[in-house]
Amino acid sequence: MRPPLTGGRGGGGFSGGRGGGGYSGGRGASAGRGRGGGRSFGGDRGGRGGRGDRGRGRGGDRGRGRGGGGRGGMKGGSKVIVEPHRHAGVFIAKGKEDALVTKNLVPGEAVYNEKRISVQNEDGTKTEYRVWNPFRSKLAAAILGGVDNIWIKPGAKVLYLGAASGTTVSHVSDLVGPEGCVYAVEFSHRSGRDLVNMAKKRTNVIPIIEDARHPAKYRMLVGMVDVIFSDVAQPDQARILALNANFFLKSGGHFVISIKANCIDSTVPAEAVFQSEVKKLQQEQFKPAEQVTLEPFERDHACVVGSYRVPKKTKAATAA
Amino acid sequence: MATFLLYESSSGFGLFEAHGLDEIGQNTEAVRSSISDLSRFGRVVQLTAFHPFESALDALNQVNAVSEGVMTDELRSFLELNLPKVKEGKKAKFSLGLAEPKLGSHIFEATKIPCQSNEFVLELLRGVRQHFDRFIKDLKPGDLEKSQLGLAHSYSRAKVKFNVNRVDNMVIQAIFLLDTLDKDINSFAMRVREWYSWHFPELVKIVNDNYLYARVSKMIDDKSKLTEEHIPMLTEVLGDEDKAKEVVEAGKASMGQDLSPVDLINVQTFAQRVMDLADYRKKLYDYLVAKMSDIAPNLAALIGEMVGARLISHAGSLTNLAKCPSSTLQILGAEKALFRALKTRGNTPKYGLIFHSSFIGRASAKNKGRIARYLANKCSIASRIDCFADGATTAFGEKLREQVEERLDFYDKGVAPRKNVDVMKEVIENLQNKGEEGEETVEAASAKKSKKKKAKGEEGEEEAMDEDKSEKKKKKEKRKMETADENEKSEKKKKKKSKAGGDEATDDGQSKKKKKKKSKSEDDDE
Repeated sequence: MRPPLTGGRGGGGFSGGRGGGGYSGGRGASAGRGRGGGRSFGGDRGGRGGRGDRGRGRGGDRGRGRGGGGRGGMKGGSKVIVEPHRHAGVFIAKGKEDALVTKNLVPGEAVYNEKRISVQNEDGTKTEYRVWNPFRSKLAAAILGGVDNIWIKPGAKVLYLGAASGTTVSHVSDLVGPEGCVYAVEFSHRSGRDLVNMAKKRTNVIPIIEDARHPAKYRMLVGMVDVIFSDVAQPDQARILALNANFFLKSGGHFVISIKANCIDSTVPAEAVFQSEVKKLQQEQFKPAEQVTLEPFERDHACVVGSYRVPKKTKAATAA
Repeated sequence: MATFLLYESSSGFGLFEAHGLDEIGQNTEAVRSSISDLSRFGRVVQLTAFHPFESALDALNQVNAVSEGVMTDELRSFLELNLPKVKEGKKAKFSLGLAEPKLGSHIFEATKIPCQSNEFVLELLRGVRQHFDRFIKDLKPGDLEKSQLGLAHSYSRAKVKFNVNRVDNMVIQAIFLLDTLDKDINSFAMRVREWYSWHFPELVKIVNDNYLYARVSKMIDDKSKLTEEHIPMLTEVLGDEDKAKEVVEAGKASMGQDLSPVDLINVQTFAQRVMDLADYRKKLYDYLVAKMSDIAPNLAALIGEMVGARLISHAGSLTNLAKCPSSTLQILGAEKALFRALKTRGNTPKYGLIFHSSFIGRASAKNKGRIARYLANKCSIASRIDCFADGATTAFGEKLREQVEERLDFYDKGVAPRKNVDVMKEVIENLQNKGEEGEETVEAASAKKSKKKKAKGEEGEEEAMDEDKSEKKKKKEKRKMETADENEKSEKKKKKKSKAGGDEATDDGQSKKKKKKKSKSEDDDE
């Protein structure tokens, strides 16, 4: 995993001893691409070996010019530039290490002590981004794993099953923005406490402490949604998703489900579990479109994305 | 026949009427397509009435009732006002579609309004949910989200606040703290010994116990000041005059270096801290024992407070523990070994947390697994009594404990244990003799007992029959019966599986293999 990093940077001197933070282990294709040689290094990295200095000399000035004002960000003040990701609402911060970030809906506040990066815009205003750690969030891992479409985009309404303490939920809430809305369902009271606290600050998050197996219990609190994200890690998670979709997911809506093979059956190989889960989904009017593994970040996990009650079929019928 | 739909939204109840829907034409596919666009759906389904909630508090009450499937007075008056009247003794000419059958049965019982909730109704309600904001004229876009947000917050806060397992959480926290304290006190005590040994290295050899060491080191302070006068005090602490003399002698001839008063003061302070912590640990233990006798008296009586508390903390709560099958309880805490065994198709672990009870240590090696199984059975019964019986009594736990003791004797010496039925009868009689106040408990528990009797009775009878035979013969017979049972089961399974499909055939083969293995290992035991 390391070689492409150093290759892209040009200055070979940085290859050693800098794996401390971030997620150097598993950079997906999306994060690795489009990186110029060493341009994002700040000039403030003195005291390196001779080769390192060479790299800095080449790109140092440019980096400083572009990323100006990247204070308080990753790794204490290195210069960072933020570029939009392929998925709307997601950004890549290009600093010493690339990181997935989302635009902070509540500037000045971190939800789970994640790093924040504030970047000065051309008109002088500042925008704050929060770093999204793929080791803590399966959605981020799926994005880095190169999933084609996460469907969660600005303005979308999302039903999030298995919200836990709301770390990923906070990023989803960044993603959908003030126009969108996240219904976060979590059963555990302990993590529900943190979730409710998080939701106090973010008005587009609607916390629901209830068992996701019984969508009827919270039917009053949820409207029709565009996307369901499910991360419940239960043996019957396909059924849980189907129940919720039947109540809340609009026809032609989409689902994103993360499957942990060990939670469903630990005795058979992960691939077989994924296949059987996909089969179960197909029986429930879902149409799985793609499947990615979350490999470097989680072991034996897969993320399946697809759509629900696709109206195409009826169109084809009328056309015929 | 008209169909009405009740849609509960976060801002109020809505009643819709669906026309032009033939009962026969309930083809869900057709409904589905008509739902997607409003112009078609609006012709089919029309708003009859809308009842907005008066306040946030009112809304919270309604949402709680709806999620429990209970009809509130507001809902009742809303329905009775807006639905056509049902004449006495006549069948209603309409039906009310609901998202949840439980609420439907409540409404029907109270108001005689016929309710239905099926796939077709759910489909229609999906449509209502999708277009709801356009049905209600006064609702501005975003209003619904706001009401959902407010309501969900108050609903979730109430949920977090009201926790059923409140008492269990105290036990869980206490046992966690106890474990942490044990670890910490040990490492702190080691630190005291290490530190004070620079001054008085001989003391470690004489005073072994950590807590005593801290006390003695605090008392001695500077070893050069140690004289015969200290002996009574030391005797009091150590409980042994010879040892006290030994300490004084060693102090005189010690090879430790002298510490400055400041250093000594620091050692002393730390020793005091360790002692305080140890005292606190004792208090915490008492607290745990008191709590356990409060929430799980039978479980505590059967297996001890510590192991019982560990079981509860591992299961998450007493209710969760009571819901566990006893096979799960048996290996609670050995998950890693279990899943490894499942993956490699090896032997599953015999015991988890319950290993720490004294029973298993007392059984001989080949009987450890059996006694673990038996103990787990009893534990799961005890936890169920604790969880679901009303009055608190340790009567069951004590008898269950006796049963386990008898079972141990049976494995050791072949003394036949009493029948379970008799033991439980005895307990219940004892409780009944105690008087009226205990009656509820007995009733609640006896239901459980009868179940248990059924399950246990077979085993007991079987044993009773074989009593006169020699032990070995008995075992063999039992095994035969077991294997016969197993075979029957596996045959049944096979049948089922063969129906289910071919791809499971391999699985079956493996399970057979496993059984073979098991029987083999049993043979080895003999």
